[in-house]
Amino acid sequence: MVDFLARPALDTILLGSLYTMMALGLTLTYKVTKIPNFAHAEYVTIGAYATVVMVNRFGFVGVAGVLAVVVSFLAAAGVALGVDELVFKPLFRRGASPLHMLVASIGAGLVLRYIVFIGADLGNLLSEKANLSAKTVWVIGNGSVSTLHLTIVPTVAGIVIVLHVLFVGTRVGKGMRAMASNFDLARVSGINTTFIRRLTWILAGGLAGVAGAFWAIHNPVTPELGWRALLWIFAASILAGLTSFYGTIAGGYIVAAAENFGISLLNRAYGVDVGYKPMIALAIIVAVFLIRPTGFAGLTVRDVVEGFRSLPSRVRERARRLRASRG
Amino acid sequence: MNERAGSAPPEGETLADLLFLFTSIATIFGIYAILAISLNLEFGYAGQPNLGKVFFYSVGAYVAGILVAHVVSGLAGWSGELFGAPAARVRFEYAVANPGVIFGLFLAALVLGGLAGGAFGYLASFPALRLRGDFLAITLIAVGEVSRVFVHAYEPLAGGAIGILGVPNPFVWITSLGPDIPVTAQRLAYTGVVLGIAVVCLLYAERLSNAPFGRLLKAVRDDELVADVLGKRTRRVKGTVLVIGSAMAAVAGVLYAFHAQSIVAGDYIPQVTFLVLAMVLLGGAANHRGAVIGALVLTLVDRFTQPATLAIAGIFWSSPVDLNYLRYIGIGLMLILVLMFRPEGIIPERPVKTPRPAAPAAAAMDGGTETP
Repeated sequence: MVDFLARPALDTILLGSLYTMMALGLTLTYKVTKIPNFAHAEYVTIGAYATVVMVNRFGFVGVAGVLAVVVSFLAAAGVALGVDELVFKPLFRRGASPLHMLVASIGAGLVLRYIVFIGADLGNLLSEKANLSAKTVWVIGNGSVSTLHLTIVPTVAGIVIVLHVLFVGTRVGKGMRAMASNFDLARVSGINTTFIRRLTWILAGGLAGVAGAFWAIHNPVTPELGWRALLWIFAASILAGLTSFYGTIAGGYIVAAAENFGISLLNRAYGVDVGYKPMIALAIIVAVFLIRPTGFAGLTVRDVVEGFRSLPSRVRERARRLRASRG
Repeated sequence: MNERAGSAPPEGETLADLLFLFTSIATIFGIYAILAISLNLEFGYAGQPNLGKVFFYSVGAYVAGILVAHVVSGLAGWSGELFGAPAARVRFEYAVANPGVIFGLFLAALVLGGLAGGAFGYLASFPALRLRGDFLAITLIAVGEVSRVFVHAYEPLAGGAIGILGVPNPFVWITSLGPDIPVTAQRLAYTGVVLGIAVVCLLYAERLSNAPFGRLLKAVRDDELVADVLGKRTRRVKGTVLVIGSAMAAVAGVLYAFHAQSIVAGDYIPQVTFLVLAMVLLGGAANHRGAVIGALVLTLVDRFTQPATLAIAGIFWSSPVDLNYLRYIGIGLMLILVLMFRPEGIIPERPVKTPRPAAPAAAAMDGGTETP
């Protein structure tokens, strides 16, 4: 049992951490600015390339390693801020709807992605691996724990703690939450919405950039890296209704677990081909939107327990109504 | 959309080259025009952002491909693998020998593809009832990707990653009529059919949206609640428009399958939807003529920034920057700039023009027996 479940479990930890890191930024910006940002994935790509360039020039030992991650954070944060200032903010002033914002973000994503393509093409980096590979520390069954696992989990934990403190304990975080729930009210209450909006984009872009840095160590980087992961990021965020902070963390790991455990169990039990794996995350998007568009947001333990307890009576009620309407 | 036409232009004949270029551009334009009109009905008029357009488009293409692959291979007595190159050769030979069969299959594919697209459109109307704009858009993008991944992975359906090869041009027999008929004649005939269908779609959409139904669509888009309160069946309207739009998109897919002569899962990526969306926004949402103009402009941009097209015109792109990258950057910039500076597009939206009834009301008052 352990020997075939170890690998999906370890993949879940690694990919779940990556999805979480990427999705946190998406949730944050959706919540504060109401933009379903399709360009978010490109920030990951930019972060990944920043790390590749840094590592391949300066190495990844000690200060250089920290520097690479910092540069990834700054590069992606800068681009995120720039996109907001140049694209989203002018549209916001014109009162664009979330749908128009989505279309604009698709446009921004196309521009960024192909600028990265041009840069990567000219620099011969179309598929480039950082000169650095995760070392295996420990082998369990068919999986192996690597140094990447050992760094990414504390990183995600650190990010979550910092964000938690930011949202709960600081004025800025309070301002963000205020803007999320009512923009006009936040502004008339004297909250510096411009500053908070900028900070939000810097945080979101930066988190995506750090996720990109880890991708660069995990896999070869291509200009389409972020774009390929985009719907997975959305799946994680959508599980949280695109609004819940803790829901997003759960969402990232749930998406990773569903696809890794799902496909290896299906493969073992029914011989389902691994090629179907991407369908799982995409099916999650569709299913969540159809069943509960708010995702985990506002869901409490009591709701879940109550939901399960009342399930038989609800089914009976539905059946009774159906019979009544027929007969 | 990648061009993988079956017949290469003959060497050294400028006229044939130009005709080849023209038919290729005009066919693609016709297909994109149909897609743009259908998205315009759904998005421009009814406000339903069907960003799964490429899915309905691929439904048509796969219906055509699967139908042709099975029927023609069966009739030709081919019992080997259905989708690969050997089967494709058998199908091309059969199509030359039996013009009636392949043309009939083309018509059948149009009808079946349209029906299948409509059926899937009806299914898509269920999320549309529950979700508002941006969420619906994300859902439909995901639906398109799920189906693409599935077709890519499930080989028995449509050849998996390689796809279906050998969907013959319905007019492939024209060249066998006489010794001096050029290959381009097949393509010209097919281009004519595609443009004809595009015109039919345009007229149909114009008629539909200038009827009271058009006003109803705009009412649902502008304020669903008000339309609901006024007793309009908004759910039914959304369902209807998605069925019509998806059926149109599927017809476009059938036309593309017979044009490209092969169906590859990699062609049906979300970028196609985004391109169509760009056409609608550029031309002007809720305006079919605008959508067609948008389709024309972006098809020309799309085609004339392909190095292969430029080479036919005698221009060789030799900068270190790949032209394809610049094209996508241009499309992205255009989306942003249109939204920012001209959200109403090239041709702004106009009020619905309901045609005057044939018999004036005054005549009906006179007794209603004779018409002037």
